[in-house]
Amino acid sequence: MAYLEINNVSKHFGGLKAVDEVSIKIEKGQIYGLIGPNGAGKSTLFNCVAGTYAPTSGSILYQGEDITGWKSWNICKKKIARTFQIVKPFQTKTVLYNTMVGAFINTASTSEAKDRAMEVLKRFQLGDKWNVQAKNLTIADRKRLEIARAMATEPDMFLMDESMAGLRPNEVDEMLDEIRKIRDSGVTIFMIEHIMRAIMSVSDRITVIQFGKKIMDGTPQEVSKDERVIKAYLGESYGAA
Amino acid sequence: MDVIIQAIINGILTGSYYGLAALGLTLVFGVIKVINFAHGSLLMVGMFAAYWIVMLTGIHPYAALIFVIPTLFLFGYALQGIVIKPILEAQREVREPVEVIIVTTGVWYILDNLALMSFGAQYRVVQTSMSGQIFMLGDYIFPKAQTYGLITTIVTSGLLVWFLKYTKMGKSIRAASLDRDAASLMGINQYRVYNIAFGIGAAIAGIVGCVLIPFYYVFPSVGVVFDVKCFIIVVLGGLGSIPGALIGGLIIGLIESLFAQYMASTWTELIVYVVFLAVLFIRPAGLFGEKRDW
Amino acid sequence: MNASSKRKTIDTILKIVLAGIVFTLPLWMTSPTYLQILILLFFYAYLTTCWNLVGGFAGVLPLGHSAYVGIGAYTSTVLFMTYGLSPWLGMFVGGVIAAIVGLIIGIPTLKLRGAYFALSTMAFGEGVRVLVENTMKLGPFEINGPRGISVPLKVGTPMENLINYQFVDKLPYYYIILILLCIAIFITWYVSRIRPGYYIIAGGEEPEAAQALGINVARYKEMFMALSCFLTAFAGTFYAQLNLYFFPKGILSLDFSFELAFIALIGGRGTIAGPVIGALLLRPVGEFSRIYLSAVLPGLHLVIYGLILILVMLFQPRGLVEPLTRFYNWILDKLSGERKEVKA
Repeated sequence: MAYLEINNVSKHFGGLKAVDEVSIKIEKGQIYGLIGPNGAGKSTLFNCVAGTYAPTSGSILYQGEDITGWKSWNICKKKIARTFQIVKPFQTKTVLYNTMVGAFINTASTSEAKDRAMEVLKRFQLGDKWNVQAKNLTIADRKRLEIARAMATEPDMFLMDESMAGLRPNEVDEMLDEIRKIRDSGVTIFMIEHIMRAIMSVSDRITVIQFGKKIMDGTPQEVSKDERVIKAYLGESYGAA
Repeated sequence: MDVIIQAIINGILTGSYYGLAALGLTLVFGVIKVINFAHGSLLMVGMFAAYWIVMLTGIHPYAALIFVIPTLFLFGYALQGIVIKPILEAQREVREPVEVIIVTTGVWYILDNLALMSFGAQYRVVQTSMSGQIFMLGDYIFPKAQTYGLITTIVTSGLLVWFLKYTKMGKSIRAASLDRDAASLMGINQYRVYNIAFGIGAAIAGIVGCVLIPFYYVFPSVGVVFDVKCFIIVVLGGLGSIPGALIGGLIIGLIESLFAQYMASTWTELIVYVVFLAVLFIRPAGLFGEKRDW
Repeated sequence: MNASSKRKTIDTILKIVLAGIVFTLPLWMTSPTYLQILILLFFYAYLTTCWNLVGGFAGVLPLGHSAYVGIGAYTSTVLFMTYGLSPWLGMFVGGVIAAIVGLIIGIPTLKLRGAYFALSTMAFGEGVRVLVENTMKLGPFEINGPRGISVPLKVGTPMENLINYQFVDKLPYYYIILILLCIAIFITWYVSRIRPGYYIIAGGEEPEAAQALGINVARYKEMFMALSCFLTAFAGTFYAQLNLYFFPKGILSLDFSFELAFIALIGGRGTIAGPVIGALLLRPVGEFSRIYLSAVLPGLHLVIYGLILILVMLFQPRGLVEPLTRFYNWILDKLSGERKEVKA
């Protein structure tokens, strides 16, 4: 039984089939990638796992437990954390405040939360910016904050939605490093990403989605050589590995 | 039975001008996504404008529309531009900034009390050729002024629907209401669209003013009565829905009229509030509103 | 003494002096008129601070809070008149009832969009007013409809006065409302430093993100609503005992609800000092213009009020507390010769 099982999950919005019977099995300790053209339904699928939407059909099992249709705050309490494609920091609050909100899930004590938050911030190179208001951060730092805040909940599973969008190439490399470190610390990662070289280099396995349907899954090698995938990405300049 | 039918007739006549009054509000909300708490005051301004024109020139209230409509339109246009636009610009990310509610409430206070200061608190009424006149259909009474009001409602809504569907500006308004940013990327000047939508809303309030003066008292806080009722109607019908506003108006008119047969009018007020809260709890989108994740 | 603590010391001294003045005021300013003005001022500051627990922290716009003031006033008075129950106890009963009512109305409406919540609190507030105006008697209790209730005068020995929450002169009322205000401020300050405070502010700013961090935003909004309503009712009892008379169009009015909201918004919602500052600034303006101007021009004070609302929202939407805080910091800088040190 896989760590996270997405079984034939569909999400319909009226007549639109945003996600159409997608199945994915993620093993513990993996970095699992989800790619596909824009509008393919990746974020919708994420939202089904994270609890923002309830799937129209299908089931989601986490460590054997059925979490289908659970509310997002309960999913977080199950130690599944997520970031948002368009980051949502608490704009008027400091970096530390933001992260403390995450840390509070494991402790009711403000001083505890503060200490744990500071630790997490240091891990993600935000330690000396603890007092900056979130709205005054650079885009790279905001992405980091989004991750740090979610990591402060000490999750076992991390859903990362396009954490590298908008970053410069050197920032992407830094982020990849941090993602590897997160996995090495024992967190299973499920990530959506558009930057091909990034997701290809860091994932153990990848599922490709188009028009809400899964068109294949495999190792990065297999995916990059697959004809269907290349066709789906007509216009993407990434060739075979 | 006759009494009931007469009550239904009254309810429909009343409901029609309620619906017309709510029309402007729902348009503004549907497009700009702001609740305009000054809506009732605009109505009051329309009523006073119509009142003074009729008093001073003696012309027929419906003739006064020629003056009232453009005046209120410009007034609404300016109001939106001066007071609401800056806030929308500053709060671009927020879909419905709460500051707008507050600012429109400020406008409401200012308008109502300027009227109070200028005209005094007394209730005024104007005698027109329609005052007290009725049509008879069988045994049933159709007061002339209210009946003209019903016709006006139908005509105005028809014009509005035609405008929104077939004219370029109308389509721009509809586009902007669906997605502010997408519309502006398409070359639609969203703020100009908002100004016009607000102007139209105000103009409709002016029309209601003309419709009302033959049979309704004119006084500075008349807007408050309509304000709350319009909000209830708009929520009942669905924010942004024109048929919703009209049908919502009819429903409220009928409720008031029918329940008034059995209880004091102060209790009918309560019934309306209960209906409102019930709608919010059961189906916040209203009868014709779009279902969103509330 | 190192550099930054000199500034802190001056800050603390100023605050202690201010507190000292406020607490000893009635001893050297004995004019009952001014005392009454201050009492009303603190009354509004208390109410807006309570309002702020929902309207500021939870990020929603309650426009019907007068209903809870009314619940407090009516509950304690009616229990006093019918059963002789001390209004102090009646105050707590009123608070509990207000909290329950607040939850009943809050649970379905707090998950609606902002404007809908605002409208539903308005409708609810007006509904309560109409209901009370139409009720002469509720079981054994005299409600008296639109004419309102006169609290029976029962002054006697000081001990009796204390129990009956009625005093001959204004002094005790001054201290009661001042203490209530301090309690409300303390609760606001304390709550903002513990987890529920962080959670509700997060939930108000970015509900989706907050939920993804494990926060059941609606639950916390409901909690704060209940707390706010509970505390607001206390003010109702205070008002009833201060004036010995209240009626629906006054204590349950839409204008009153709106005024509370505006004072908090203009002062600065979501902050601790904002609502108090709003009350301290706006109430005198309102009172003076009402007293001196409305004889000349009725309604002028509301025009001024409306103008202030618009101007503040256009230029200082976060409230006047922001520029005032900066001004205060500037004064501190000048007095101590240092800059402000940052803290989390």
